[in-house]
Amino acid sequence: MKKFVALVGTNTAKSTNRKLLQYMKKRYADDAEIEVVELKGLPIFKKSEEVYIPQQARDIADKIDASDGVIIGTPEYDHSIPALLSSALAWLSYGIHPLMDKPVMIVGTSYGTLGASRAQAQLRQILDSPELKATVLPSSEFLLGHSLQAFDDNGDLKSATESQKLDGLFDDFLEFVDLTEKLGHSKQIHEQEASSTFSWDNGTTGDDK
Amino acid sequence: MVKLVGIAGSIGEQSYNRMLLEFIRDHFKKTVDIEILDINDVPMFNEDEDHNDNPVVHELARKISGANGVILATPEHNHTVPAAMKNVIEWLSNNVHPLNGKAVWIVGASYHTQGSSRAQLHLKQILESPGVNAFVMPGNEFLLSNAKEAFNADGSLKDARTVGFLDSVMKKFLTFMKVIEMMDAPDPKNAHEEDMDSKHPVNTTVEGVDMNDPEWVEKAAEKTHAASGGDYVKLDRGLLTVDQLNYFLNSMAGELTFADDNNQFIYYNHNAEASQMLAARTPDQAGDPLSAVHPGRVIEHVKQVLYALRTGQSDVVSMPAQTGPNQHVMHYYRAMRDENRRYRGVNELVIDIMPILKYYLAATGQKLVKDPDAVPMSPITGLDAVTGASAHSTPSTDATSGASASTASAKPEPAKDPIDMDSLTGASEEAQPGYTAAENSAPAQKPESAPESDTDATTGASEH
Repeated sequence: MKKFVALVGTNTAKSTNRKLLQYMKKRYADDAEIEVVELKGLPIFKKSEEVYIPQQARDIADKIDASDGVIIGTPEYDHSIPALLSSALAWLSYGIHPLMDKPVMIVGTSYGTLGASRAQAQLRQILDSPELKATVLPSSEFLLGHSLQAFDDNGDLKSATESQKLDGLFDDFLEFVDLTEKLGHSKQIHEQEASSTFSWDNGTTGDDK
Repeated sequence: MVKLVGIAGSIGEQSYNRMLLEFIRDHFKKTVDIEILDINDVPMFNEDEDHNDNPVVHELARKISGANGVILATPEHNHTVPAAMKNVIEWLSNNVHPLNGKAVWIVGASYHTQGSSRAQLHLKQILESPGVNAFVMPGNEFLLSNAKEAFNADGSLKDARTVGFLDSVMKKFLTFMKVIEMMDAPDPKNAHEEDMDSKHPVNTTVEGVDMNDPEWVEKAAEKTHAASGGDYVKLDRGLLTVDQLNYFLNSMAGELTFADDNNQFIYYNHNAEASQMLAARTPDQAGDPLSAVHPGRVIEHVKQVLYALRTGQSDVVSMPAQTGPNQHVMHYYRAMRDENRRYRGVNELVIDIMPILKYYLAATGQKLVKDPDAVPMSPITGLDAVTGASAHSTPSTDATSGASASTASAKPEPAKDPIDMDSLTGASEEAQPGYTAAENSAPAQKPESAPESDTDATTGASEH
């Protein structure tokens, strides 16, 4: 059975993204073991001469390393991903590269109608950057709008349309994980680049400071 | 001088973006005052914990609010803005919104060729979201690539063409800021459109506090973390504490009122009880829309005064209120304008000029006599419509105030009548037995028989 790490993109207690990830954990329990992982508590990313990485980030990196893929649930703050998620991704690409070539599925919820669409678009760009180079499930979006009303008392999605859509995407993601196994040709080069180009001077592995 | 704040987007590292900001600050120091803000101690944003009580965030918000514009210098981390920069913006778009309507210039430096191009695009999107609602200067991208080689040892930029480009962009940003500062200026098309209910917030309007709340001052002060007591305020030209400002304003020889460009009554120099004032105001009225402090019958006339000042038809409108042999109270309405000549509100001074006149006569050994050749004029100045239409007003003050008495006593004016000074001043002519020269320096007594709402029909806060 596949193992996935599901990152909750926000630290608020009332997150509907957490609800969505918990719903997925429950709904797809027969197909995959999903561990919902909190980012709350991570400090804001900053570089240091000793390239210090907080233990919480290292623990998350270990979990991702041991998984077959990552699901990220993001809300939208100011048309982009929360600083917390941004920080987490920076820590997870600061001399360590757990997300490199890792299959990633993006989902997002919002209180309004748009379902974090712009945050999701930015998140794809970020995951494409040279230090991250995650392999994001293409041509798929799960945008859950009006998320405060979207769940029933059991934490299940009320809308059959939405839950069927998510089922389809998750099935695709399972296939995608197998598919990416076969995309190994550039993997080694990515990892070499990442470790060889890293220096304090450019802070990260080749991107701009 | 134009005041800007600059924020460099990364923390805890030697930053070329900070160097770039410092160079900009030093290079333009003769024309622009730039303060670089420190974001190192801003905690991770959490909407559950944003109770509007974080001192670091407040200080940032206060400084941004007080600036004419903001320069953001962003590096690029993972194709986006650093989390530290985004984190600050999240704090500044949830409970407080100091970037709302603010002009922003984005610059960026990077080690390699990109010069933070993608981070700048993300930052633009972020700044344009409704919670932030800043005005980002379009075009004019300043991307400093190969930052390590770009600076001299003294921190200045090596390349003269780069400096030249920076000069040209700063020049455009100074113009852009002026344009942006005009964006929220209320723009009524005629006097009738003057919004007496203050529903067109300007960049100084305190949002989220009910204007009609009797404790508006206290609540708005809490919301804005207003300076108070011994806090120093830098003025043009001088430096005073808030206490000193109060001593100064409260000892002015006249009653002062400030209504802003959203027609909100936000200040008066509170040095006497309402009953002791020439134009009565009470502490609970501060913050009220002007409609709440004027009787309905004068609203249209007040609008004409405001419109004349706002549009620059007049810089001062003056009119008499209580008049008589021993008292001649004048209301002076002066337009306040900022450095861009934008109207920022009305400064009202209410003062009894009779003591001044009597002093002058006594000191120079003269007396008043009627002038048989006097040309009839309106006692109201600064309103063309009024002076033109005022031939019916007789020249003598007695006659004027006599007419006021009848107005005050009875008929409500239809709102759209042409202005006539009687209803504007709403004043009354009564014998004032208690008023003597000896009491000149004390607040003049109000004529006992004048209904309070009438003595101050135009000028503000007398509606109860």
